[in-house]
Amino acid sequence: MIYLYYSKRNKAEVICIRDNIKGGALTETTLLVLLAVYQPKHGYGIMQFIEKETSGRVILGAGTLYGAINALVKKKWIIPFGDEPDSRKKEYIITAAGKQKVEEELKRMDEVCKLALAIIGEESST
Amino acid sequence: MSKTVFRYFFDFLDGQEKWLNTMAGQGYRLKKCGRVTYTFDECTPNEYEYTVEFVGDKAYSQAKDYRRYLEGMGLRTFTKNINLNFSYGKVKWRPYAKGMGQIATSPGGFNRELLILEKRKDGKPFELHTDVHDKLDTYKTVRRAYVWAIFLLLGLTAMTFIPGVSSMPPAMAWVLRAIILAFGILFIIPAVKYSSFVNRLKEESKTFE
Repeated sequence: MIYLYYSKRNKAEVICIRDNIKGGALTETTLLVLLAVYQPKHGYGIMQFIEKETSGRVILGAGTLYGAINALVKKKWIIPFGDEPDSRKKEYIITAAGKQKVEEELKRMDEVCKLALAIIGEESST
Repeated sequence: MSKTVFRYFFDFLDGQEKWLNTMAGQGYRLKKCGRVTYTFDECTPNEYEYTVEFVGDKAYSQAKDYRRYLEGMGLRTFTKNINLNFSYGKVKWRPYAKGMGQIATSPGGFNRELLILEKRKDGKPFELHTDVHDKLDTYKTVRRAYVWAIFLLLGLTAMTFIPGVSSMPPAMAWVLRAIILAFGILFIIPAVKYSSFVNRLKEESKTFE
């Protein structure tokens, strides 16, 4: 957790910023949805892909997925694929900006993994 | 054979969901719902399960899009009222909603603040929100609806103390205050429950996604 101190009308206040804002970490839901739409998929397809690829560890709720899709469309990390106006059948595909975010996230996760493995390795050798 | 039950829920989310699941456990599948009525068809006990989603904070077009999306996910949907509206004619103000969701019209989003969702029981949990932050947003919205209802009841109570506002005799004014208090308590109970959910989820969100 990072703490920022600033003065507002001479009154010191503290704002807590979660680590992921600073580090740019994506939530697992976001990352999995982005990975799911490397090939065009509709909502139900995304849900099934995530459940299958995580061997049932992650089962996204339909409401959570709806929110994630809308947030990613707003950020232009995914876009509707084709011109299907019916939201029941609408498919989505990842954009170049979305792919870039995935690559950045993989790099960040790799750094965290290396750090953790180095520490765990040191611990187990002592 | 159909069965109609009269029921109104002050705990419109969890309370209603639990009751619908109890009915499904007894072999009753929801066929349709009115303002205070639920009509069921007989089915195999525990064949279906239900969850209730609050969409009263959404603009009508967004709520409609969300409903279509959920139907695309294979869920059966019903709309339901919460009757927490302050209206003039066919245009209603929903103080707890966001943006265009604050204006509900009839026909439109008015009296369609809830979505009742049904799926065939498949052993998987029937959860619409699986992410801590998403759950937090959902419960905050529900809590806001209750808090507004309580504030408006408090406002109404305060008005009964203003001299000259009504020509009601003092005894009747106290009866009115007692009725408002009873409604207030019925709204406060779920408000406290959803507040405690929000606080718990806030704690969880510091550690988990």
